[in-house]
Amino acid sequence: MENAWLIPLFPLLSFLALLLFGKRLKEASAYVGILLTLASLVFSVIVLVGRLTGATYKLEADWLQIGDLQLTVGFEVNQLNALMLVIVSLVSFLVHTYSKGYMHGDQRFPVFYAYLGLFTFAMLGLVLSPNLLQTYIFWELVGVGSFLLIGFYFNKESAKAAAKKAFIMTRIGDVGLFIGMILLFWQTGSFEYDEIFASVHAGEVSGTMITLTAILIFIGAVGKSGQFPLHTWLPDAMEGPTPVSALIHAATMVAAGVYLVATMFPLFAASETAMSTVAIVGAVTAIFAATIGLTQTDIKRVLAYSTVSQLGYMMLALGAAGYAAGVFHLMTHAFFKALLFLAAGSVIHAVHTQDIEKMGGLWKKLSFTAPLFLIGTLAISGVPLFSGFFSKDEILIAAWANGNYILFWLAVIAAFFTAFYMFRLFFMVFSGKARSEMKNVHESPVSMTGPMIVLGILAVVSGYVNTPWFGTFLGDWLVEGNEALGHGHIEGPAWIMIVATVVSLAGIYLAYLMYSKRSISRDWFTSRAPTLYSIVVNKYFIDEIYQTTIVYATKAISLFLRFIEMFLVNGLVQLVTGIVRGLGKTGAKLQNGQIQTYGTVAFLGLAVLLLIFALTGGYLNG
Amino acid sequence: MSGVPVSAYLALALILFCIGLYGALTKKNTIIVLISIELMLNAVNINLITFSKLGMAPAITGQIFAIFVIAVAAAEVAVGIAILLSLYRNRKTVNIDDMNQLKN
Amino acid sequence: MTVSGEFIAFLALALVAIIGGVLLLNLKKVVHMVVALVFTFLSIAGIYVLLSAEFLAVVQILVYSGAISIIMLFGIMLTKHNDEDEGDSKGGGWRKAFLFLGVLAFGAVFYIGIYNLDFGSAPAALHENNPEQIGIELYSKYVIPFELMSVLLLVAFVGAIVLSRNDEKEEADKE
Repeated sequence: MENAWLIPLFPLLSFLALLLFGKRLKEASAYVGILLTLASLVFSVIVLVGRLTGATYKLEADWLQIGDLQLTVGFEVNQLNALMLVIVSLVSFLVHTYSKGYMHGDQRFPVFYAYLGLFTFAMLGLVLSPNLLQTYIFWELVGVGSFLLIGFYFNKESAKAAAKKAFIMTRIGDVGLFIGMILLFWQTGSFEYDEIFASVHAGEVSGTMITLTAILIFIGAVGKSGQFPLHTWLPDAMEGPTPVSALIHAATMVAAGVYLVATMFPLFAASETAMSTVAIVGAVTAIFAATIGLTQTDIKRVLAYSTVSQLGYMMLALGAAGYAAGVFHLMTHAFFKALLFLAAGSVIHAVHTQDIEKMGGLWKKLSFTAPLFLIGTLAISGVPLFSGFFSKDEILIAAWANGNYILFWLAVIAAFFTAFYMFRLFFMVFSGKARSEMKNVHESPVSMTGPMIVLGILAVVSGYVNTPWFGTFLGDWLVEGNEALGHGHIEGPAWIMIVATVVSLAGIYLAYLMYSKRSISRDWFTSRAPTLYSIVVNKYFIDEIYQTTIVYATKAISLFLRFIEMFLVNGLVQLVTGIVRGLGKTGAKLQNGQIQTYGTVAFLGLAVLLLIFALTGGYLNG
Repeated sequence: MSGVPVSAYLALALILFCIGLYGALTKKNTIIVLISIELMLNAVNINLITFSKLGMAPAITGQIFAIFVIAVAAAEVAVGIAILLSLYRNRKTVNIDDMNQLKN
Repeated sequence: MTVSGEFIAFLALALVAIIGGVLLLNLKKVVHMVVALVFTFLSIAGIYVLLSAEFLAVVQILVYSGAISIIMLFGIMLTKHNDEDEGDSKGGGWRKAFLFLGVLAFGAVFYIGIYNLDFGSAPAALHENNPEQIGIELYSKYVIPFELMSVLLLVAFVGAIVLSRNDEKEEADKE
């Protein structure tokens, strides 16, 4: 465990090596990336195993000394970190492997792997950070990696715009995080998590300040995790290559927001208001994104909205004091959502389109991908015995136990929608007949199916580490030795599990009726409430609202500021520069290389000195 | 007994020195500048010789010193003219304003 | 103060010297300037005589009025001139004015310093066997500076030759 700091260095090494030698290695650079992330994975597993039995390990070194203030760098291995390390390095490793097939033939193949290495480094560094400052640095690095990968196809206008959008929208959240961080530092005098929690626990920080800082940090998480109202960048981010979507925009980076809230959980737990804010935002996001997911026709966008929705679930769990439930769902979600994205990538790889209206009848043609996709769909829908069922159940129980009945029912409805739109997606892609001509449909190479199989297995079994039937091992372990995190498992009424099962099965059945058996017309809802439908299909016009309000307002303000800049600031600046330039010109004129000028100046100086001498203390006064 | 006071000689030297100084710093022709410097040296010589006769401790030493000054001045003029000539060969001018190599 | 012959001589010589200097500043042609300065040098030689420095007076005439002036004239002849030392360079007016004021102030300050200065000591008998006295001093007390001076003159001599030598090769290289 002492060597945990090596884990992020392998991907960094991969990044640097590919940056330097990528052009020469060409497609062989995939092996560099794969091997180095494999090394990370091995170390992460060793660390996790070590942490299962050992205690939290923390190592820090001085970084900067400013007056009495000491900034440190280091790493910490606690339960959450160890778990995240494995999740990140595992998904990263699988995505590295998968990309070898998916990105085959791309001109910028080595660059892609270099970016993947950079991102993995940043993400692993983020989860190892023992203090807020270091977290923030890696947080931004993760954002850079995401920006580069979304804009990977920078020839495409939409990809460029999406990259910029992602960068700017997450930046809004980052500002919140930054302010919150500085406020916390001001209040507690430290960036260290431990010290912050200790002083919060000791009541050294006022309640209002706790609420304020918690909400500001939550804003950062909202930006990164694509929570309402900063969610619009995440669906657009699907412009990036599909493995990237799987790695960044499903399993790891967007989970960073959830991770941040989980890490700062003792701070949030100290404020009732902050907790309910987190819960409400989470629940609203969950249902809100789920409704949008019902109407989308782009396979990746459906998955993107389901990601937003599932992240909302995690936030809801954390906000409802279900720390273990949130982290549990974070883990299972990372596996089944990565699986879904990789499977979707495999489908796209096969049919070269992302529009599900054009797909159909792929079940037989993609004999590997289709069952794996089905596993992922079942897991996310919360069908019993799959991982998503257990984690979602934990969240629902946490919400119920916390007394937020409205949020609980919102979550249940969202679960219903989730099951419905996921199976709508599944049926439209794999069942029935092809709705457009598709040639050369072929199964993906082993490098792509292999990772999917691994994830498929995990999507099924990862739920069993924390079940009400066989013991809540994960939850107990996560909160062990830290009362601030709440209970590992919350006992809830048994009917919740039944409700969840019924709801997900109902969603599946409805989808089956509408999209496979077609006994209910697809237009049944659309024709009855066209206004509602058009609102949803346009994603609640959020983008348009932003365009007409914030963007225009910003433009107006910037125009106004531009005028100030031009006339006021520039005037002043020009005055200053004019003075300086005048002085400089005069000075330069004196330095004209002419000996007589120099002599004149020197002599005049002498004359003036003599005059002063004579007029004051010289001969005249004796 | 000398009827001319010390200050008269010194004033003459001062006037010549000032003329030389002014000429050295304003004239554009390098030769005139050199000559002006000679004038300044001459003014100094007048001072030396005046003090050698009418100073606090009159002695022949002042005249010896003046001889040295004259010798150095002669050497200086020789070298100065040589430099001037070689400059003129290279730049085709004796205008001191054009000799601004120091600037670059 | 009685008006002695010496005083009249001084006034005349000083007048010539100063007129020579002023002409140096105001004449247009370079050659004229040098000639004006020859008068100044000559009258300075006269002043030396008044100050009982006959040997120096002769040296002055030889070196300044003779050698240096001739060298200057050669210098003028060997270089091309617009013949006239055309007045001010561009923007030199201010400089000249400032310099004039500065020189004036400088002169004024020193004039105040030397005004009515009188040491009142008896003049030494410098005029008796003046060259002999100089020779004795020079070859006894000041023999080392004297020898050094010879080295300096040699160096100047060689240097002047090296500098002004018309090196064809170098010329070719430069052009």
